[in-house]
Amino acid sequence: MRPAAAPKAIVALSAAVAAPVHAHLVETGFGAFYDGIAHVAVTPADLIVVVALALLAGQRGTRAARYAVFALPVAWLAGGMIGARWPSAAALPLLTTLSFALAGALVALNAKVRDVGVAALAITAGVLHGLVNGATMAPAGAGALALGGAVSAIFFLTAILSAEVTALPVGWPRIVVRVAGSWIAATGLLMLGWLARSAP
Amino acid sequence: MKTQMKRWKQYAALGAAMLVLAPATALAHREAGQAAGFLSGLAHPVSGLDHVVAMIAVGLWGAVLGPPAIWVLPVAFPVVMALGGLMGLLGFPLPGVEIGIAVSAIVLGAMVLAQLRPPLWVAAALVAFFAIFHGHAHGRELPEGTSALLYSLGFVIATGLLHLVGILLGEAHRWSAGRQTVRAAGGGVALAGLFFLWRAVA
Amino acid sequence: MSGWLRMLLLTALALLASAATAHEMSMAEMELRQISPREFLWQWTASGNRPASEVLKPVWPEGCRVEENVVRCGDAGLRGTLAIEGIGKGYSAAMVKVYWLDGQMQVYTIAAGQPRVRLSGPANDTRPGAWAYLYLGIEHILLGVDHLLFVLGLLLIVQNRWMLLKTVTAFTVAHSITLAVATLGVAKVAAAPLNAAIALSILFLGPEIVRRWRGETSFTIHHPWVVAFAFGLLHGFGFASGLAQLGLPRNEIPLALLLFNVGVEIGQLVFVIGILLLERSFRLLEFHWPKLVERLPGYLVGTLGAFWTIQRVAILLRGIK
Repeated sequence: MRPAAAPKAIVALSAAVAAPVHAHLVETGFGAFYDGIAHVAVTPADLIVVVALALLAGQRGTRAARYAVFALPVAWLAGGMIGARWPSAAALPLLTTLSFALAGALVALNAKVRDVGVAALAITAGVLHGLVNGATMAPAGAGALALGGAVSAIFFLTAILSAEVTALPVGWPRIVVRVAGSWIAATGLLMLGWLARSAP
Repeated sequence: MKTQMKRWKQYAALGAAMLVLAPATALAHREAGQAAGFLSGLAHPVSGLDHVVAMIAVGLWGAVLGPPAIWVLPVAFPVVMALGGLMGLLGFPLPGVEIGIAVSAIVLGAMVLAQLRPPLWVAAALVAFFAIFHGHAHGRELPEGTSALLYSLGFVIATGLLHLVGILLGEAHRWSAGRQTVRAAGGGVALAGLFFLWRAVA
Repeated sequence: MSGWLRMLLLTALALLASAATAHEMSMAEMELRQISPREFLWQWTASGNRPASEVLKPVWPEGCRVEENVVRCGDAGLRGTLAIEGIGKGYSAAMVKVYWLDGQMQVYTIAAGQPRVRLSGPANDTRPGAWAYLYLGIEHILLGVDHLLFVLGLLLIVQNRWMLLKTVTAFTVAHSITLAVATLGVAKVAAAPLNAAIALSILFLGPEIVRRWRGETSFTIHHPWVVAFAFGLLHGFGFASGLAQLGLPRNEIPLALLLFNVGVEIGQLVFVIGILLLERSFRLLEFHWPKLVERLPGYLVGTLGAFWTIQRVAILLRGIK
């Protein structure tokens, strides 16, 4: 690495990593519930983990998907409430990145994860991302209603996406799912690199 | 003569694809924020011609090899490339990155030209080896003040789309006339690789 | 799902709070006269038994400050939400007249059923903000839990796609008609009976949903689109109350009506598609719900319909007395 580039990159990166913490809640003008929904829609870190887990759950069949459809939002809600109560406990960029990178990698490998494993991963990822969500949303003035909106959006997205994946025929459509998983895993790997470099 | 015409058509298609993607480059460095991070991530892989031809060659070769390589290579490449990017970000030195990229274009282009079909693991290992160079060179150039996550996502998606272009072009391989075109495109990639190698060494 | 429950609870509470008592009411009148681009002279011009200034307290839009009888606004000018506190105690409504320097005048009405209005500035510079009408339409349907619940009830009754299409179209056509009729001032419906009737339309769907569960048939189950059309006429008047918040200048009414209506349809379509997608995903994932959970949406429609009906009829009766 060129030495001159290092400080610049660190500044850039800390800005990038810190950005979500300072981000204020999206205002749809439709009230807190819809603000919560919109928050999920414009927070790529949240979207990407939901998509990764929904793909994984759908790939593993209807039972795994049924588990994930409930495990993820419930865990997210629990994490969100903890995060809103103790915001300092929630600076976990490394763990959240690992969670979606792992889910993406499992999708890419079409790994034969057991249904319980999918549920466990959904719970872990849900709690982690929920923690961050709660910690960032609460200081921005979002109450329980916004968290409820976010969790509803996650439930909705997980249910629809995983259901569509279970219904995909064997062949090309399934490969597209695996490719999407590999893209998510690759994004996670690059993110890990950024995080490692931003750490002193 | 006919082949050459087809080849020009291929280049025209490639050029058109690049023109479509080009406006993103213009936008990329103008404004900070999430969208800019994503756009610059998208634009980055297409900004260097050496990358573009090598990644299209991956898709072409995948099409030549047929299933399962046609999808194993595009699934494996982004991940291994990200691994290369990770190495770059962590500061692992990788000597001769530019040369490696140029050689990757030469080798992959030659594979397509010669219609070589090695076993899957050989093909995968070869592609993975080159993917590390590509990731190492380009995965780490995050513009200031943008979201690292969106930049990474855009970068990976653009790479994947380039593979898709290669695969779609490579599908012409099913027809006998198309096969010659695909081979010609492979030759073109190899030639471009030679040029880049000359530039990298000189 | 808990978000929904909370939202419903909140809505119910808000409705309860708005059920303030009303006795021998009269109408107050306020005048706002523009004296410079950002300054307005304001006063109460007509009062009832007790002076309006004693009972009513205006809450000015954000960025506007009041010094005695002058309102000074920031760069945005006189824009945003104007509310009047105290409506319902001695005054049933307040009429706000805004006179602009260029000679235009706008009239807004603030009443217990509509405690705040949106001031949009003089008509000629609302042009770029015409999309606000679209936005307002989306907002009105997305926050109008009673309208959404009625649509949900219809979705629970229809049996196939063709019927669904007919029903949703009938509802759309019907409420568009009455929305236009009310906004153009052809017909007017008082708020209290209207709200009670809308609640009744939701309650009406409850028993029909139960019939459907039991495998019985009825006119509604055979022809849900007729019911959708009939009650859609009512809901259109309800939508019109949302548009009435704006104190529209006459020359903007057609555009506002169109955009507001399109906004309502967008919101409704998003809701319908969302419910259908969710239903499809539950089917694909082979969910086997307990009977109670499976019937929860139906119970929700019936129970809330009944609750609102009782509550709004009570408000209506109190208003008459």
